[in-house]
Amino acid sequence: MSAQLAIQAQGVQKRYGHISALKGVDLTVTEGQIFGLIGANGAGKSTFIKLLVGAAKADKGSLQVLGFDPRRHKAALRQEIGYMPQAPALYEDLTAAENLRFFGRAHGMKNLNEQVETTLDFVELSQRADDPVNTLSGGMKQRVSLGCALVHQPSLLLLDEPTAGIDLRLRSAFWQHFKKLAAQGTTILVSTHQMDEVVHCNELAIIDEGSILTTDTPQNLLQQGQAEARVWRGGQMEKHALQDYPVDLPKALHAYGLDPQIDRIELEANTLERIVLGLIEKAARLSGGK
Amino acid sequence: MFASLRRTLSVTQRVLSQLRHDRRFIAFTLIVPLAVAYVLFIFFDAFENPMFDPTQFVFPFGAFIIHFITFILTAIVLVRERVMETLTRSLVNGYSQTDLILGYLLAYSTLATVQSLLVLTELTYLFELDFSLETLASIYLVMWLLAVISMALGIFMSNFARNEGQVLPFIPLILLPSIFLSGIVLSVDQLPDWAQTLSRFTPLFYATEILHTLVDNGTLADESAALINLPIYGLVVLVLARFTLRESA
Repeated sequence: MSAQLAIQAQGVQKRYGHISALKGVDLTVTEGQIFGLIGANGAGKSTFIKLLVGAAKADKGSLQVLGFDPRRHKAALRQEIGYMPQAPALYEDLTAAENLRFFGRAHGMKNLNEQVETTLDFVELSQRADDPVNTLSGGMKQRVSLGCALVHQPSLLLLDEPTAGIDLRLRSAFWQHFKKLAAQGTTILVSTHQMDEVVHCNELAIIDEGSILTTDTPQNLLQQGQAEARVWRGGQMEKHALQDYPVDLPKALHAYGLDPQIDRIELEANTLERIVLGLIEKAARLSGGK
Repeated sequence: MFASLRRTLSVTQRVLSQLRHDRRFIAFTLIVPLAVAYVLFIFFDAFENPMFDPTQFVFPFGAFIIHFITFILTAIVLVRERVMETLTRSLVNGYSQTDLILGYLLAYSTLATVQSLLVLTELTYLFELDFSLETLASIYLVMWLLAVISMALGIFMSNFARNEGQVLPFIPLILLPSIFLSGIVLSVDQLPDWAQTLSRFTPLFYATEILHTLVDNGTLADESAALINLPIYGLVVLVLARFTLRESA
């Protein structure tokens, strides 16, 4: 059973001085998933990813990544994972291809040049392969950075805010890339603070102030939200709160029958963003009440 | 073992490629020591006292220039790697601390080879020094060794700086005192005991000791203790650098 888990975290805690960055994180990620780690800036996403790649040490709790302890089996784990940090973290005076070649060479790949070409093609940068990174746009640098994480074909990709600060078209392209990789069997853990992106994930965890508030599928989360039906009849407006609107809406409208006096019906469902914010606010209220 | 060597050479290749693209860095490393050595010549040339013999000072000062520039540039480059997160990324990507340190050392050794040769040639020419080829080769070896050790020291000390600006305090804290502690200006024997002990912690002390012997018509064999201590010093610093090189800022 545990062989199917790419990531298993139990009670993971991390402090930086007096700041508690992670307060007992429990999380499991199944192999082959796109798993979203959603939270505001400073919620603990990057810290958690740094613990997963073994770049930092947890103060308490246990972590297993692809069956390895990230600190004890660093070398073995790092052959299997691809990591894209939040900053581009590239050698700016080297070309895109040189960057990919350098990061790929750590893995002793026999078909490195071929793989570099394939990866550059995948991130749509073949035309700029021989240009120094410092001549590329911000979005292109993000693509080079993604390429560096992918070049050795890792089985687990850990992406820290890969779409931060890039335009909508490129964001969409990135998610297409992630979906292609997941279809090929790569497990992807991606952190983001952009709520509209979570619909692309198979599963997601909402993290706030170092704690996981909930773990669920985007569909289930959406169902946690409320919808409101507003009915205008003879100049009067009536509101109906709907918990599960695919089921409750027909019931609510049933009361009106085919009333010719109904001028207009408006339906507003909570967005995922509003649901997530609601969860964060609820958690803040609960912790404040303790 | 073979995998580690391959990764080390990969780091060397990457650093050399970066150097090819970074002409300003090469200029700093090669031209600045020459310019400073020329200023040194002007300064000594202004001494009109016939009793003053510059040969005692020329090479130790030349060694100091190399030590200073190599240390600072290496420390800044490593801090920049940490700030840009390329260091973390390289380590997470499968390179080890040893791969990175040795890779850097190999790549910069090529620069040190050229740098030491240029400084030595310039000083010999400007001061019209008449040493045997054997003595010059020995002086060159000491300067080269010092440059490599200065790199190792720069890598180690980079751990104590959070950003490039924090490298600057190393100048008054480490580099400038080494002029007075290494015997360049004043014999170490004339210093208080505590300062004599402290002098052993600067590589310039061992280099100066050997250089003084060489310009006094001695040979490397006459300074075998210092000649052994210098690489040992380098090795200790390298081991310290290996075990203290932090993965992230």
